[in-house]
Amino acid sequence: MPGTVHIVDDDASFRTALERRMRKAGYEVATYASAQQLLDRMPAESGPACILLDVKIPGLSGPDLQQRLAELGSTLPIIFVTGYADVRATVKAIKAGAEDVLTKPIMSEQLLPAVERALAHHQTSRGLKARLDELRARLARLTPRETQVFELVVQGRINKQIAQQLGATERTIKAHRHRVMEKMGVDSLAELVSMAERLDVLRRLSAGNGKAD
Amino acid sequence: MRIRGLIVCLIFVMLPAEAPAQGQRARSILFLDQSDLRGPFYYEIFRAFRQRIAADAQSHVTIYSESLDLSRFGGAAHEQSLREYLREKYRDRPIGVIVAIGTATLELVLRWRDELWPGLPVVFGLIDDNDLARMKTQPNITGGTVSLRVADAIRAARAVVPHLNGIVFVGDDWSRQVVFGHWREEIRTAAAGLQVTEFIGLPMDELRQKVEKLPDRTAIIYSAVYSDEEGGFYPPAVSLKFISKVANRPIVVAAETFLESGGIGGFVLQPEAIGIDAAVRAIRIIGGEAVSHIPIAPTNAVKPIFNWLQMERWNVGASDLPDGSEIRFREPGLWQQYRWQSALAVTVLLMQAGLISVLLHERRRRSDAEQDARRRLSELAHVHRQSIAGELSSSIAHELNQPLGSILTNAETAEFILEQPNPDLRELKDILADIRHDDLRASQIIGHMRSLLKRTPFELKDVDLNDVMREAFELMSAQAATRNVALYLNTAPGVLPVNGDSIQLQQVILNLLFNAMDAMTEIPFGRTIIGKTEIDGGKAVISISDSGPGLPAENPNGIFDPFFTTKEQGMGIGLSIARTIVQAHKGRIWAENQPEGGATFSISLPLLPR
Repeated sequence: MPGTVHIVDDDASFRTALERRMRKAGYEVATYASAQQLLDRMPAESGPACILLDVKIPGLSGPDLQQRLAELGSTLPIIFVTGYADVRATVKAIKAGAEDVLTKPIMSEQLLPAVERALAHHQTSRGLKARLDELRARLARLTPRETQVFELVVQGRINKQIAQQLGATERTIKAHRHRVMEKMGVDSLAELVSMAERLDVLRRLSAGNGKAD
Repeated sequence: MRIRGLIVCLIFVMLPAEAPAQGQRARSILFLDQSDLRGPFYYEIFRAFRQRIAADAQSHVTIYSESLDLSRFGGAAHEQSLREYLREKYRDRPIGVIVAIGTATLELVLRWRDELWPGLPVVFGLIDDNDLARMKTQPNITGGTVSLRVADAIRAARAVVPHLNGIVFVGDDWSRQVVFGHWREEIRTAAAGLQVTEFIGLPMDELRQKVEKLPDRTAIIYSAVYSDEEGGFYPPAVSLKFISKVANRPIVVAAETFLESGGIGGFVLQPEAIGIDAAVRAIRIIGGEAVSHIPIAPTNAVKPIFNWLQMERWNVGASDLPDGSEIRFREPGLWQQYRWQSALAVTVLLMQAGLISVLLHERRRRSDAEQDARRRLSELAHVHRQSIAGELSSSIAHELNQPLGSILTNAETAEFILEQPNPDLRELKDILADIRHDDLRASQIIGHMRSLLKRTPFELKDVDLNDVMREAFELMSAQAATRNVALYLNTAPGVLPVNGDSIQLQQVILNLLFNAMDAMTEIPFGRTIIGKTEIDGGKAVISISDSGPGLPAENPNGIFDPFFTTKEQGMGIGLSIARTIVQAHKGRIWAENQPEGGATFSISLPLLPR
C-alpha cells in the first residue's frame, strides 16, 4: 500500500538509512530530527501514513510525542524504535496505543510488514473516522427536540412512552421520529441504534442516567 | 767616624782583662763539637742545648757554634788552622763559657784554652768516662760523662739474637772514631766466648757485600761509618741505611739517631740528654756560679731503646729485650694514641652511619610507599573507571546500536537495489560510504570504552585538554540523552597542552558529568550541563556546571573527602579519586555554587608552553 512514512530520529545517519530503505520500498518519506519538528509541521492525514519514532530522542521523548498527537486528534499510527528492549518503555508505549515496537537494529523483514500494517491500520481508521465524522455531522443537524426523541428511541422507548415523557401527542412524536430517521439517513430502527452505538451515544446516556438515578 | 771606631776598639781590647771576674761573665757561649753538625746526632745535641738555654736563661744568651769536623779532618795542620780560625773569628767577641762536645773537641779546647780563652770555664759533654780518666784534668772544667760500653752492645746483641755465638763490628777505623774509638780495647774482654769479626775501615761496596751473607746466630754491632774509604763521606746514619738495607743479620747500634736508619737498637746514646746536661751547666756558670761548685758527673744519656719495625723483621719479642727497654716506632693503634678522640670519632661515625641508613631506609620506604600509592591510585582509578564504564555501558550499547542499525538497514537497502534489473550504482556508492562511516563510528565508540576499561599505569604525556574534554562529552552524550540532560561544551580556541594521563583526566571529567546528572534527577525539566575550557594565566582550567540543587552550604569542599556521598548507592570515592588524580597532575580541583543556582566543578592544570 502506498503511503507516507514520517521518520523521527536524532541520528542523521540512521535517519538517512531508514529514509533510503523506505523510499526503495516505495513509500513517501518525511524526516524529522526531533519530535518538536514533527509537531511543528503536523503532517496531514490525507493519505495513509505512519510514524517511525525513536524512543530516546532528546527533548520531547517518544511517548510524550505520542500523547501530544493523541491530544491533537491525530490517528497517525506510531511504530516505536528503541535502542534496546526496555520492557517498561515498551508496555507504556503499547498502552498509549503504539502500533508496534521495534528494536534496533531493525531487520527489513520486521520493519516492512510493520510499516505495511501501520499504513493499513491508518487507512482503516481514516475510513472509520471519515464515517464517524459524517454521522456526527448528521447528528448535529437534528433539532434539540429531535435529538431528545432520537436518544429515547435508541433506548428502546415506544412512541407512547416518549410522548408521555416529553408531554406531547403521540402523533407529534411520530413526526419527529420520522424526521430523525430521515436526517440520519436510516430506514430501520436497528440501523439507528447501530449508529447511536458508533457515536457512543448509548454509553453517554446510560452514564448520564446512572448519575440521575 | 774614625774616632768612634777607635773607642770601640779600645773597649774590646780592655775586655779580656775584665772577663775572669766572677759574676760578670759575658752572656755568650761558644759551642764547639767535633762533627760537621749536619749529622742528626750532633744536630740533636745542639738543638737540645740551644732550646734549653733559651728556656732557662734569665736574659738572652748568645750562642756561637762551630763544628770542628774532627771525624773527617785531623792532624796538626788542621788543628793549627782551626786554632787560627777561632782566634781570629772570636778575637773581639767576649765569650762566657766554652762548651766542648766530644772527647776530640775537649782535648783541643784544653790544649788551646790558655792561649785562646785563658781562664774561661769549659763545659763538656759526650765524654766517655774512661776517656776522661785518661785526660789530664785542668781546673775550671765541668761536664757530664757518658758510659758507652761495648759490653752493653753485646748484651743487646744477645737479646736480639738467641744463642748468639758471633758478633761483627762494623765501623770506621777505630783510630778515626771519635765516639766509639775506646771500644777497640774493650772488645777482647767483653766479647769473650763469642766469635768476633771486625769489618772495620772497609770500602762501602765490600762492606755491603760482606754483611749480606753473615752466618746465623750472629749480630752486627755498628759503631759509625763516616767514610766509604774511597774518598766519600757520609753522616754515619746514612751509612747505616746503606748497610742495613742489605745486611742479613740484625744491627745493634749505640746512638739514638741510628734507630731510624735501620738499627735494631741497643744501649743508645741520647743526644738530647747530652745537650740538656751541657746547657744546664753552662747557664749555671753564666749565672755566676763557681765552676768548682758544679761537679763532673755522669750524664744519664744511655738507654736501652729498640726499633719495633726491626724487631718484627728479626722476630724479636718485647720480652726478649733487657729490662727497662723502650720500644720505638711501634705504630700505636689509633685507639691507643687517641683513645677518646677515636671513641668520639667512631661514635660520631656510627651515629652518622646509623642516621644515614635510617634516612636511606626512610627514603626507600617513602619511595616504596609512593610507588605503592601510585599503583593503588592506578588500581583504584581503574576500578572506578570500570564502574564508570559500567554506568556508561547501557548508553554505550545504545550508541553502538545507532551505527549498527544504520549499517544493517543500509546493507539491506543495497541488497534490494542489487536485486533490481538496473541497479543504481551511484546510490550503492553512497550507501557504502555511509556504511564505512558508521563502521568507523562504532569502532570509535568501542575504542573509547576499551580505553576506559584498560588497566594502564599512570603515565604523563603531552595531551590537549580540549580533546580530552570533547571525548568525555561525546562518551557521555547518549547517557545525557537517556537522562534527558542537555549537554553543552564550550572549548577554548586552539589547543590546551597539558602534561597528563588522558585516560585518568577523562575519568575525572566523566565522574564530574555523572555527578552533575545524578544531582539533577529530581529536577523535572531544564537539566543542563555546561562544560567549559579556558586559559587563566599559566593554567588550563576546566569547569563543569550543572543546574542542580548545588553543593551543601557548609564545607562545600568536604565532598572531596573519601566516603563522602549524597547518593543512596554511592561509595563516595569518585571525587576523592578525582582529587588524587588531579593532584598527581600537579593541579587543583574545587567546587563552588553558582549565584544563579547549580554547582560548578573546576580543575586547573599547569599549561605547557606551546
